[in-house]
Amino acid sequence: MARIYVIDDDEQLLRMVGLMLDRGGHATTLISDPINGLEQIKQDKPDLLVLDVMMPDMSGHDIARQIRAYKGLETLPILILTARSQEVDRATALKSGADDYLSKPVTSQELIERVDNLLQKRENRAKPEQGILIALFGMRGGVGQTTLAVNLASALRRLSQEEVCLVDLSPSGGQAAMHLRLQARLTWADLPPATELDWSLFKERLTIHPSGLRLLAAPAMPQSATEPAPELVKACLALLQTEMTFTVVDMPRVFSPTFTAVLEAADIALHVLAADVVSVQTAVQVDRLLSKTGATFRQKSYVLNHIQPEAELPQSTVERGLSARVASKINFDPNQSRALAQGVPLTLTSAKSPLPTMMNRMAEVLWQRVINTANKK
Amino acid sequence: MGSTHFGRNQLISVDLFTDAYRVTGRVLVGTGGIHAELANPSSDFLELQDAYISRIHLPGEIISHYKVAAFRKDNINFIVLQDRREGIPVGTQHGRSIFTRGRSLSVFLTVPSFEITGEIMHDGKIAPREILVQSIGRFLLVFSAKASASLYPEISYSGDLILIHKERIGIFCLGS
Repeated sequence: MARIYVIDDDEQLLRMVGLMLDRGGHATTLISDPINGLEQIKQDKPDLLVLDVMMPDMSGHDIARQIRAYKGLETLPILILTARSQEVDRATALKSGADDYLSKPVTSQELIERVDNLLQKRENRAKPEQGILIALFGMRGGVGQTTLAVNLASALRRLSQEEVCLVDLSPSGGQAAMHLRLQARLTWADLPPATELDWSLFKERLTIHPSGLRLLAAPAMPQSATEPAPELVKACLALLQTEMTFTVVDMPRVFSPTFTAVLEAADIALHVLAADVVSVQTAVQVDRLLSKTGATFRQKSYVLNHIQPEAELPQSTVERGLSARVASKINFDPNQSRALAQGVPLTLTSAKSPLPTMMNRMAEVLWQRVINTANKK
Repeated sequence: MGSTHFGRNQLISVDLFTDAYRVTGRVLVGTGGIHAELANPSSDFLELQDAYISRIHLPGEIISHYKVAAFRKDNINFIVLQDRREGIPVGTQHGRSIFTRGRSLSVFLTVPSFEITGEIMHDGKIAPREILVQSIGRFLLVFSAKASASLYPEISYSGDLILIHKERIGIFCLGS
C-alpha cells in the first residue's frame, strides 16, 4: 500500500480519484488547495503525487517544478491528470518534471495501472556505487554530437528519475544550454581550481532543468582551446561519478589533454559520425591518433547519425572505412530542428520519431545495466 | 473538467483560440450544443467559466486564470471539442441531424496562425463557395480535425470537432 497524495481543485473529481485509488489498495490524502498541498507534500514526502494542472493560484506545472527543485523530493513520482488533453500539454507536463500524464476523463483501470507502474519504477530504482560516465566525442563538427548528448541525458533522467548530469565541455560557446532553453548563470569557467573543488561548491555551478536534469554548462563566449584544464575536468568527473547515477559528457572537438582525460575516465565512449566521406576520414584519423597516444577505452562504440534526409554513404561503406561495425544508427529526424528552436529535447516529448526512439532505447539499455548490477549485489 | 449536466443544460470543456491566445474553460450549453450558443443572435459574446489562458506560442504554459471570461464571437478563430455531441445535435437512432447529413469531404483550410485539416459533412453541390455560404451559422464544422500552428507544425490540437469562424478562413481547399 502506497501513500498517494492527490491535488485537484475540483472536489467532485478529487473524491472520485480518491475512491479509485482506495479501491486499488492505496492510502490517499486528498487536497483541494494547491498551495497548502505543496507544503503538505514537502513535510510528509508521500510515495506518489497525482496532480491536476488547471488550478487557481498555482498551476500543476508550477507545483511539479517546485517539487523537483526541493531537496528530498527530486525523485517523487508525479502523475499529471488534466482536462488539457493535447500533445503540447503532455510535452509541457513532462518538461515541468512530471513522470507520466493522463487526460481526463480517466477510467479506474487506467489510473491504477499508471500509478502502479510508477510505483514499480520507484522500487526498481538502484543507484550504483559509482555512477556511469558516458562520453560522446568526434572531431567533425555538425554531426549532431550535442543533440545526441542532450537527448541521451534527458532520456536517462526521464526513464530512471535518478540524478543525471550533462557536462558541456565545448570551449567554443555552450550549446547544450540552448538545446534545453536554459540560461546558465554559472559555467565551468566559474569553477575554482581542482585542489579547492568539493561537491558543495561544484553543485552550485550546475544549472537545473525543469525535468530535473543537471547541466554543467559551457561559457557562452568562446574560450581558449586548452580550457577547461584536464586536472579540473578529472576532479569534476570524479565528483559526478560519486553523486550522479549517470553523467553524459559532450566532449570538446579539440584533441587536447582534457579530451584524453575524459576518454580515459569514461565507462562508455560513443564516437559520433555522420554518413559522409569527411566524417569517416576524420573518425579514422582520430582513431589513429588515439591509438598512437596509447589511449585506452573501457568500451567504445560508433554512432552513425544521419543529419541529412539522404545519406551520402551507405552504412556498409562507412563500416568498411572504419574497419569496424557501427553499434547504433540514427535515421534523419525532421523534428530535430524544431525541437532545437523550441528548446525541448525530443526525448522529453512523446515524439516517436527516429532520434528519440534510438536515444530512449540506449537509455533503457544503460538503465538496465544499473538495475542488473544492483540486483547481483 | 469533463462535462457536467444541469437539467437540459451542461457545462462542456472547450479549447478556444484567438489570434494570440489559447483559452481552456467551460461553457454552459443547451441541447443545441456550443454551435447554437455561437449562432445565438441575442449575444455577441461567448462566456467561459474557469478560463485558463496560455499564449499561443507556449500553449502548454498557463499564464493566468479567471473564474469567468467573455469573448467577442467575432474574435474567436476556432474552438476544439473532444466530443462532437457537445458541439451540435448529432441525431438519434432514427436519423442524422442536419449537421451530420450528406457526404463526407476532406478539407484543408487556414485561419490566422493555423492550418486545419479534417472532414466536413455536406449535402448539396460540392463547391467551396456553396459549402461556406450554405452551411448553417457563423462557424464551420470540421470533424475528426487537427489544427497545426503554421510556423510550428509540431504544435497541434486534435479534436472530434473543430468549429471554425468562417470569416477568419484564409484558404479553403476541398478534397474528395
